[in-house]
Amino acid sequence: MSSSPLRQRPALLRISMVALLMLWSLAPMLWQLYTSLRTPESLLAGLAGLGGGWTLANYSAVLQADPPFGVYLLNSTVVGALSTLLTLALAIPCAYALSRRSDLLKLVIGGGLLAAAVFPYVLLFLALLQVARQLGLANNLLALCLPYAGLSLPLAVLLLQAAFADLPVELEENALLEGFSLGQRLRWILLPLIGPAVVSTGLLVFLFSWNEFPIALTWLSRSELLTLAPAMARIAGSSVFTVPHGAFAAATVLGGVPLLALLLIFQRQIVAGLTQGAIKG
Amino acid sequence: MSLLLMAPALLLLLAVFLWPMLDYAWLSLQAQTVFTGLKPVPVGLANWERLLGDGRFWQDAAQTLRFAVVSVGLELLLGLAIALLLHQSWRGRGLVRSLSLLPWALPTTVMALGWRWILNDPNGPINGVMQSLGLPSLPFLASTQLAWLAVVLADTWKTTPFVALLLLAGLQMIPTDLYEAFALEGGRPWQGLRRITLPLLRPYVLIALIFRLAQALGVFDLVAVLTGGGPASSTETLALYAYLNAMRFLDFGYSATVMLGMFVLLLASALLLVLAQQRWRGARP
Repeated sequence: MSSSPLRQRPALLRISMVALLMLWSLAPMLWQLYTSLRTPESLLAGLAGLGGGWTLANYSAVLQADPPFGVYLLNSTVVGALSTLLTLALAIPCAYALSRRSDLLKLVIGGGLLAAAVFPYVLLFLALLQVARQLGLANNLLALCLPYAGLSLPLAVLLLQAAFADLPVELEENALLEGFSLGQRLRWILLPLIGPAVVSTGLLVFLFSWNEFPIALTWLSRSELLTLAPAMARIAGSSVFTVPHGAFAAATVLGGVPLLALLLIFQRQIVAGLTQGAIKG
Repeated sequence: MSLLLMAPALLLLLAVFLWPMLDYAWLSLQAQTVFTGLKPVPVGLANWERLLGDGRFWQDAAQTLRFAVVSVGLELLLGLAIALLLHQSWRGRGLVRSLSLLPWALPTTVMALGWRWILNDPNGPINGVMQSLGLPSLPFLASTQLAWLAVVLADTWKTTPFVALLLLAGLQMIPTDLYEAFALEGGRPWQGLRRITLPLLRPYVLIALIFRLAQALGVFDLVAVLTGGGPASSTETLALYAYLNAMRFLDFGYSATVMLGMFVLLLASALLLVLAQQRWRGARP
């Protein structure tokens, strides 16, 4: 008789904690979704404006703006995908070679990679901008892949190096006896085995490149070339929309949904990459 | 062969990380402004002297530090609570874990624009609730006392899931029989938290602390969109000040000096952290 309230209390406590956590995590996003579907008048009426006043006009305003919002999403996707491919192409051979060494050079490079991985890269933007100007890379969407790959390499090499190091050496020795060349060993034996680490790494690089702000902000000025992050900042600073809250909210929903979907689909791989990065790094 | 495989990646790394620092070291000894026709003119240590006496630099340094310490502290506390909650087994845990990670995946500029509307005075939802309770609405983004807290709030909202995830991974590494043995010897659950969980979680806390502190000290995206550094520079951070010097005041030599000054402060705080960590370790029996 007296045991049941005692047993229910932790459950009740947990339910309220979970409810609080969900409110904290989701309410700000749901508010943006709600706002994006409301007419300007109902938004200015405060809580009294709840009820009528639904509209899709905010979305059509954003999607038909000049340039249309879809362009930014497309630019971010292109830059993100190419940066990911370039990063992996450079990081895989480097990580392989590093995992097969056990000398001073490995320690030095490993330490340097760790320091670079936590370095706040915003400090680098001015020098990178000058390089871009000298090489004529400003306002070139694809050129952004170079700094993005460079900035992603520390984490990518560390993650992949740890994955290579986990593979048994005999595996490669056997393949060597069979007469496999280095390229063949990588392609047919090693890469398939570290596939999950490659996917996790690639997803993290894609997320970074899609979201990157300071470099995109300074390298790109033509509006049809903007990636999502500088486009959001430009939208935030503009007053094209008369009562802009609804249109702003529609932009945040459109800008947020692709990555939220990506996270929900590839959650396991992304989480694995994040935690591996922290533990192995 | 091994070197050949590493060369492309290492060359790009040096170009992206090392070259800028060397470039700044040179640029900080030059005047490169509109007055010099945007051409570099050697000026010795003039930029560095200016930095030492620049009240705005030191104010921004203090503001950046305040933001980093408060928000990372909050993120660790909240992250630990969330990790402990998600570490227990209950129905629906997987879904809650997925959903609670969503804020982390939002682009910072997107969520900063969202928070601007949530904190809006007087039409945002927080002030809407305040008014319906008969309280005055708060000018979150227009008051020098409140704006930096708004930045802390938005940053905490976005990055706590990352911290919680790391700490959850750490919790999952602790063998459960430790707790069973502890319970057998008459230990109470909350004592287990202090005696077993926290000590064994320390390496994970440290990783989260270092990584988040470095990011928070370099905060740029969030401040640029949420407050623009205002009102009255009260939320301006060092990274934003360096950016303004280069892109708005077109004073490249001084911007490079600010970046290097920020780098020196970062190194100093890293050193302090290492020393504090050694003390922490030394203080344990």
